[in-house]
Amino acid sequence: MSTTGDIGGLWAAPDDLTVLVSTGEIAVAVHPQRLVTPALGSCIGLTLWDAFNRRGGMAHIMLPSPAETRLGGLADRFASVAVPRLAEAVAGGAPRYRLVAKIAGGATMFGGDAGMASIGVRNAEAVKHELGLLRIPLLAEDIGGTHARTMELYLDTGLVVVRSYRYGIREL
Amino acid sequence: MDPRSLSAIQRDALGEVGSIGAGHAATALSQMLGMPVDIDVPDLQVLSLPEVPTVLGGPENLVGAVYSRLLGDLGGGLLFVLERDAFLHLADLLRSRAPGTSKSLGAAEEATVTHAASVLLSAYLAAVARLTELSTLPAPPEFAFDMSGAILEGVTTQIGLKAETAILVLTRFCTLETSVDAALFYLPDPDSLDVMLGRLGVL
Repeated sequence: MSTTGDIGGLWAAPDDLTVLVSTGEIAVAVHPQRLVTPALGSCIGLTLWDAFNRRGGMAHIMLPSPAETRLGGLADRFASVAVPRLAEAVAGGAPRYRLVAKIAGGATMFGGDAGMASIGVRNAEAVKHELGLLRIPLLAEDIGGTHARTMELYLDTGLVVVRSYRYGIREL
Repeated sequence: MDPRSLSAIQRDALGEVGSIGAGHAATALSQMLGMPVDIDVPDLQVLSLPEVPTVLGGPENLVGAVYSRLLGDLGGGLLFVLERDAFLHLADLLRSRAPGTSKSLGAAEEATVTHAASVLLSAYLAAVARLTELSTLPAPPEFAFDMSGAILEGVTTQIGLKAETAILVLTRFCTLETSVDAALFYLPDPDSLDVMLGRLGVL
């Protein structure tokens, strides 16, 4: 199967300042860097932003909690682990009340099959629950539906750009 | 079982199963089209799941996919993936139109390809079942057309979050006039992989 790099110019080309967050990972960056996580399906992309330091973090969360699977692997793919860890990493000793959150993802890629079809919804609930425990306000969300999303966080303004084939570009 | 710990003989055995399965799928396709369809298996790989989107042209590449969950002796899932252009191409083939007629994906194209893929997956599965003397059934097919990374994510969460291996059969269906490249993934859950290797006598 051939690899197509150019797919209509919808996607901002990655450069040196792009910090890529893969599935099940968390990352922290400072302006002028920007954080990107591609292809969120049922996963949740979470961004935390500190306006004062123009610093922020992103998580690509796959599942609500480690109780969901018996496989080993990255602990940061679980909401119950990744959210507190990311908050800690972004705040880095500074007061946590400056952080604000935005989320995207939580879609249902394949309908039909019961049980796992609702995983996106449950992921979103779990992330909101964890944010509530940490008292981090959720400013905006673009979740649900049946389409994939790519999420990008700009650290100077806290702008989150969500791209999808179905709806193009949305700003949160 | 960890896919990286598979021995060369085990990989060969799984590859052989994949290629026989693809052969059966080609027979089914030629019956559907009423014309001879040749099959070419240019590549056969046993991958770990995180590697799969790289095969599909990166996580943001636009692909059409049909997915069937497996029930019975073998658990896991079967995923049939085509890149956007190949997808429209296959839709044209199935509807006896000149290649390039379909410009966009409509309900008709979606339904045609989903049903065809369902038959192909069943044919593939029948071959696997016969080789291993196990009985396994596909659940009704589900369709998605979006970023390959997100589709894969949807699939891995659906097979009970257990699968970590993907047996990939890159398949080229060739008719007299044209050819279509498709990727067929068999994603066994770890227990089923052991069962299958046991039946093939290479555990």
